[in-house]
Amino acid sequence: MRKVLFALLSFIALSFAQIKVVATYPWIGDLVKEIGKDRVSLHVIAKGSEDPHFVVPKPSHIAKLRSADLLVIQGASLEVGFLPPLLQQSNNPKIQPGREGFLDLSAFVQIIEKPISVSRAMGDVHPEGNPHYQLDPHNIPILAKAIKEKLCQLDEKNCAYYDQNLRDFNKRWNEKLKVWDKELSTLRGTKMVSYHKLYEYLLYRYGIELIGTLEPLPGIPPTAKHTEEIIKAIQGAGTKVCILQDVYHENRTAQYVSSKTNAKLVVLPHDVGAIKEASDLFSLFDQVVRRLSECK
Amino acid sequence: MKRIILGLAIFSSAFAQESLEDLKRQLEEQRKLIEELQRKIEALEKEKVQEPTTQVKEETQKPAPADRTLQLRLKYDDRLKAYQVSPFRQTAFLPDISFIVDTSLVFRNKDDQLYKKLEIPGLYHRHTHEGHAHGELNEKRGFNLNYGELYLYAPVDPYFDLYATIPFSEEGSEIEEAYAVTRGLPFGFQFKVGKFRSSFGRLNAQHPHVWDFANQPLVYKVFLGDDGLKEKGVQINWLAPTPFYLLFGAEVLQGENEQSFGTEGFEKGGISVGDARKPNLYVGFVKTSFDVGNLSVLTGLSFATGKSRINHLDDKNPHAFAGKTKLYGFDLTARYSIDSYRYVSFQGEYLYRDQKGTRYDYDNQGNLEALRYLSKKQGGFYAQLVWRFAPRWRAGIQYNLINKNDVKVNGVKRELSSHLPAYYAMLEYNPTEFSRIRLQVGQNKAFFYGGQRKTVNEVILQFNFAIGAHGAHPF
Repeated sequence: MRKVLFALLSFIALSFAQIKVVATYPWIGDLVKEIGKDRVSLHVIAKGSEDPHFVVPKPSHIAKLRSADLLVIQGASLEVGFLPPLLQQSNNPKIQPGREGFLDLSAFVQIIEKPISVSRAMGDVHPEGNPHYQLDPHNIPILAKAIKEKLCQLDEKNCAYYDQNLRDFNKRWNEKLKVWDKELSTLRGTKMVSYHKLYEYLLYRYGIELIGTLEPLPGIPPTAKHTEEIIKAIQGAGTKVCILQDVYHENRTAQYVSSKTNAKLVVLPHDVGAIKEASDLFSLFDQVVRRLSECK
Repeated sequence: MKRIILGLAIFSSAFAQESLEDLKRQLEEQRKLIEELQRKIEALEKEKVQEPTTQVKEETQKPAPADRTLQLRLKYDDRLKAYQVSPFRQTAFLPDISFIVDTSLVFRNKDDQLYKKLEIPGLYHRHTHEGHAHGELNEKRGFNLNYGELYLYAPVDPYFDLYATIPFSEEGSEIEEAYAVTRGLPFGFQFKVGKFRSSFGRLNAQHPHVWDFANQPLVYKVFLGDDGLKEKGVQINWLAPTPFYLLFGAEVLQGENEQSFGTEGFEKGGISVGDARKPNLYVGFVKTSFDVGNLSVLTGLSFATGKSRINHLDDKNPHAFAGKTKLYGFDLTARYSIDSYRYVSFQGEYLYRDQKGTRYDYDNQGNLEALRYLSKKQGGFYAQLVWRFAPRWRAGIQYNLINKNDVKVNGVKRELSSHLPAYYAMLEYNPTEFSRIRLQVGQNKAFFYGGQRKTVNEVILQFNFAIGAHGAHPF
């Protein structure tokens, strides 16, 4: 009886002590969960199967942001289309940019493809550079550390717990990293095409060359002329080319290009939950590696 | 040079927030980088050693410059001047600026002369005043420049954000909105002060360029006018700490709406009505939202009450009204997301107006006929369905109906139509979120002229463009 009461009380105490975290994307949520475990309660705004640029700013998210202690975002303007109005309506000073409860993960990684100048005539380019940095598995431990530091800052007394979780996570991650590195290093020098510049960090890391995108400009849907150019580029590549298709754009163009060139079409998840099998960060990268290996 | 690079390497690695293994990896990478840089430096140094010899050769061939030190000094002076021109430069604090242009081509079966004279009995008639802001959109046949709207936003300081919307028409401009919002009130409160679009209802707070149709719904036009309810005043809202969205808000506004509220008294030919109390208009609203799977529902109730002073004594048909008005609103939005780009959205609002007071106008002999007790109980709604069926395409239909139009003069009901419908359909092509081309067809059967119903058929081709730093729009 006493044990039950103790368990109940500690459960209540714990649930009250939980840090309320809102993450913009599922992979961030999963990383927060790895570090915070039961000491955090989590709300994730976007779905993994959605286009990360176009997320509906539902009022239900405002309710979650209102009571949040911490907001973790991907940054580099990826959330510019939905987060600012949600934040403005959240009536929560704690999580506003610049305050303690706001964490922009893009500050901790090397952002690539930063344009010297921008114009909307170039399509949907981000002045900060390419924001899809989560697909470099070597970035993940750095970001895990950033999240741990932030949780420690907000919840000092549980810092040792977060630290332990981070070490545990890093151990498991670094083991997997060796496997993934080994597997993907065999792809060095291969050529690929993707719909959007969504996988650039992954391709950079493993020396894979992107010879073109199906969209003529970022955010602009494929045109007949540009598609023909891509077909020519694939045919002129002189080697096997893989087409990387994300889960949210139409795949007719990719299928058409594939049928014209015999290039292999691979659906590559970009986030946790993008496909059923990618239920957490580990299985996401397992899937990425497994699917990318088909391009050998 | 080498020392600087080494220093930088140490500096950057000291800042790197990584685990030991990452650090080791990074150090290894940096060691390689340094080696590479060293090689480059050595190569450069070799070149440098060779450089003077070639220069000397050239110099011996060329005549020596008249005064090298003078040249150097001039260069130095230039630098000094440049540095001193703008030491207090504040361009980094430039606010977000955007400019929105709305232009349209209108085909209508009624010419502009007649269209201007059309009225909706008991609800709407056009007045002679010329607006400088949005006013009525798509007003004339042929080409219209509806507005060019300047939008500014920046945080004022750690405590306030400031927003301003300044629409320009061909005649002039107006400050449509200029307000500050608090950034950090505790307990879920937010405070707004300035001139702003009231949060009454669903559509009222939205700018015309985010509307789903080219014109505002009929109920808005008749109860709140072509510009909607935008007023000077304050708003306080409170977001309840509930797991679902629940917002309460109250506004105290000046109350200078052309259709329903007014503060200025009037005096002419034996009529004398004093000013209403100022501020005059009180608004309250509650909004809530919840999700069921991919369906998001947002619904709200709104209430506005204030004194009315409507002065058209200088018009061709002079008349005036003094009294009080209560306005009730119910809104419902339900949006079903099919995927990232496609959705079906329903939006509807019901507005009800209860207006009582004294109407002043002239009898057949031109004598002032004061003290006619006027009571209006009027209501209507719009309901629309918008389908984004492809990333760049949207289609929609809107049904408008005013179905209650009870007007009593000295207790005697006037015979007015209480079936005033209008229908619209639109097809939109949005190349990006910054440009829009919309084709809208519609029929409005609410207008009357000389006691006769005049059906207005129209086709509108609308173009809307936005440049600059324009923030995302709320749900």
